[in-house]
Amino acid sequence: MRALVTGASHGLGRALTRHLLKAGYEVVAVDRDTDALDDLVVESRGACIPRMADLASDNSLARLMERISDQTFDLVILNAGINATGKFEEIPIPAYERLIGVNLIAPLSMASSLVGREQIDQGGKIVFIASLSHAVGYPGASVYAATKDAIASYARSVRKPFRRQGVGVLTVFPGPIRTAHAKKHAPMGADEAKRMAPEVLADKILAAAKGRAKVLYPGFSAQMAQMFGRMAPGMATRMMRRVIFDKLEGPEY
Amino acid sequence: MAKRKARPHNILITGATDGIGLVLAKAYASRGHHVLATGRRRLEGDEDFFGTRNIIYIQADQSQADHACNRIAHAMNKLGWEQLDLLILNAAAGWTGLPQDETSHSVSHQISVNFTAPILIAKTVAPMLFNAGGKLVLVGSTAVKKAQPAFATYAATKAGLDGFARSLHEEWKGRAQVQIVHPGPTRTAMHKKAGMKTGLFRLFFMSPRRAARGIQRAIRSGDKRRIITRGYGFGALFSRAREGEL
Ligand SMILES: NC(=O)c1ccc[n+]([C@@H]2O[C@H](COP(=O)([O-])OP(=O)(O)OC[C@H]3O[C@@H](n4cnc5c(N)ncnc54)[C@H](OP(=O)(O)O)[C@@H]3O)[C@@H](O)[C@H]2O)c1
Ligand SMILES: NC(=O)c1ccc[n+]([C@@H]2O[C@H](COP(=O)([O-])OP(=O)(O)OC[C@H]3O[C@@H](n4cnc5c(N)ncnc54)[C@H](OP(=O)(O)O)[C@@H]3O)[C@@H](O)[C@H]2O)c1
Repeated sequence: MRALVTGASHGLGRALTRHLLKAGYEVVAVDRDTDALDDLVVESRGACIPRMADLASDNSLARLMERISDQTFDLVILNAGINATGKFEEIPIPAYERLIGVNLIAPLSMASSLVGREQIDQGGKIVFIASLSHAVGYPGASVYAATKDAIASYARSVRKPFRRQGVGVLTVFPGPIRTAHAKKHAPMGADEAKRMAPEVLADKILAAAKGRAKVLYPGFSAQMAQMFGRMAPGMATRMMRRVIFDKLEGPEY
Repeated sequence: MAKRKARPHNILITGATDGIGLVLAKAYASRGHHVLATGRRRLEGDEDFFGTRNIIYIQADQSQADHACNRIAHAMNKLGWEQLDLLILNAAAGWTGLPQDETSHSVSHQISVNFTAPILIAKTVAPMLFNAGGKLVLVGSTAVKKAQPAFATYAATKAGLDGFARSLHEEWKGRAQVQIVHPGPTRTAMHKKAGMKTGLFRLFFMSPRRAARGIQRAIRSGDKRRIITRGYGFGALFSRAREGEL
């Protein structure tokens, strides 16, 4: 069994990689900083295969796809994602270009080329990591939210045509996760204890990937937030403004 | 923009060389507003393309999003526009086919033209919009309503714009209005450019004039999100046909 995980060095990607290694997978672990994977390579006796790539760069992405072009996968988790928070107009253009590259261009072009070149085995699965912001909006990170909404839409559109090739699609909408990402982008005074541990989330994602679920809102509070966002979308976004945008300090990217 | 002010407005419209954008540019220009129109074409030597001096055209190819931004910033600077009353981000391109057959180039091209460029242009001209208390209008598509296996990337870019508008509307409250309009199938050359055959369904699409009128009505309203369809009669049923929903 072989899996591909992007953004595998830290945070959720690392937790996913560890769990997959423990479950006996060989994991092609993509990140721009692969040194942080050294311990997993040793522990797994080489079952963890680091692949360095900067997913914000078209060239680097193309080289990665070339490098792995003779491998097939049972599970592909397109996890790498970055954020840019603050007032929309105060974040510099290159930060937006990176954000859109990592969060949107990379997962879409990886998904289409992996399925197109039949690199995902029959019965295999692609997992997209969106965000709970899809349900409630995210003032203070409007471009991040936009990339995650675009991912959710893409995943929904490709479900049927990918299934024809025997590939399933799962979209995950996590709320706050206890990772460096959340620490960097949450407003001052946010309660870290309320964030989901990446190990717990990794378990839920891998369980869902085995089943037939199309979407996963992990945990009770994510499910409540989803319902609230569906019933009162305007109110949900106004609330997000109060709890996040109004409390953000300078731009962070 | 709810009421006509006495002074003519400064209006920027992207993708104004064809289809809905062209109708919008001419409509605003004919009412005496100053229109800065953009597109990917070179129109030098074709000074009469728009047939009015109220429209100034600059080439700003959105397949290079930051480059397009620079061109627009430069043009506004040269025109001395410190205020922007209305920004209509209309330019877009599509691709039709199964997602697994789509090339990486097609994916990144559509994301650049339909998604990155509008976002970067909005950021670049934000100060001028704030100066005027103006309005940002994003053009989406009714394609975002459901799964679109035949144009997944296109629909994703439009769904992205929808989410962008949702959050930015909240952020910009009190400074500038943000609105997204989602047109239904419209009889423009877009489908052909995207490699899509629309066949007889095309008869039931709305005309670009109607779409443009619907968008102008939406702009006069305070709504943050509007669907623009024919919305009446027998044809409305057909206009929902997936085939044309680019
Ligand atoms: N944390 C949250 O609260 C939260 C909530 C909802 C959704 N999510 C989503 O969950 C996913 C994982 O987030 P996380 O919290 O685990 O984030 P994280 O702790 O910041 O980890 C992200 C990983 O992706 C890597 N990465 C970033 N840019 C890259 C690039 N250009 N090329 C290759 N790798 C790159 C990072 O490497 P470096 O460390 O070297 O940058 C890091 O290893 C993301 O898609 C995120 O949007 C997170
Ligand atoms: N037609 C429909 O059924 C339909 C349905 C829903 C939503 N929409 C949306 O409505 C808007 C207008 O579409 P339309 O039907 O009027 O299409 P259109 O006739 O093809 O017009 C699109 C405009 O965008 C320009 N454009 C294309 N690529 C560009 C680039 N790389 N850089 C700069 N400009 C570029 C086109 O230039 P050229 O003249 O050089 O091609 C043209 O001026 C789009 O946002 C579209 O997604 C259309």
